[in-house]
Amino acid sequence: MKLVRFVSGQWQYALELNEINLLNLLLKQFPFTDLQPVQISRSDKDSKAKEREKLLNESLAQHRKLLKKAAVNLLEAGKIKHQNEGWLLTLALEDREVLLQILNDIRVGCWNALGQPAELEPKVENLTAEEQRFHGLMNAAGYFEHSLLEQA
Amino acid sequence: MPTILEPITEPVIKKKPRSDDDLTPTYYVICWNEPVNLMVFVTHVFMKIFGWNKQKAEKHMKEVHEKGKSVLVREGAEKAEFYVHQLQEYKLHATMEPAE
Repeated sequence: MKLVRFVSGQWQYALELNEINLLNLLLKQFPFTDLQPVQISRSDKDSKAKEREKLLNESLAQHRKLLKKAAVNLLEAGKIKHQNEGWLLTLALEDREVLLQILNDIRVGCWNALGQPAELEPKVENLTAEEQRFHGLMNAAGYFEHSLLEQA
Repeated sequence: MPTILEPITEPVIKKKPRSDDDLTPTYYVICWNEPVNLMVFVTHVFMKIFGWNKQKAEKHMKEVHEKGKSVLVREGAEKAEFYVHQLQEYKLHATMEPAE
């Protein structure tokens, strides 16, 4: 996946067929993990903080529903076009942010499911089939995040 | 010979009047390190949410990476809460902690 150009507020990326298939798989099957509740504060434990935390978790659950809807439309006709030797993905500014949020949701969700390991590239033979799946998804999401941002 | 003593005058210390802002609790918005987050991603999110230039965003990203956390901003409750929501939408581990 490579940045081709940024014109008129739109990012255009060239992808190979295997990349578009992988991105399609990630988006169509999102989310892969359950949403984990988050803390809004480590030190503040009063009733206001609890109320804020409740609101934050409700808001994140709602936001994830919106991401799930958006994921279906990110690769719709018009945004992705076949060209000579691959595919051209065109993303508006807000679409790129949505895609980044989806990808990092996948990445962090898989990392949590793996038990938050410090080692992100363990030996494959030491992993169960389920762990291999989560590692694969986490790495794929990281690859696309990197590709979307590195050349920007 | 009598000595002439100068009158002792106490220095006048002007106290700054306390405004409502002084009484409003403020919060540090803190981003905590999670090794799964790519450095380029964290930098991007800081630039996007706070409108920082790349240099400032990278400084805070490196602080998160090397020191385990970075204090991003100090704000009133409402705005701090807003920033935490924004950061969490990108799955960055952010919290708001009462400022002393």
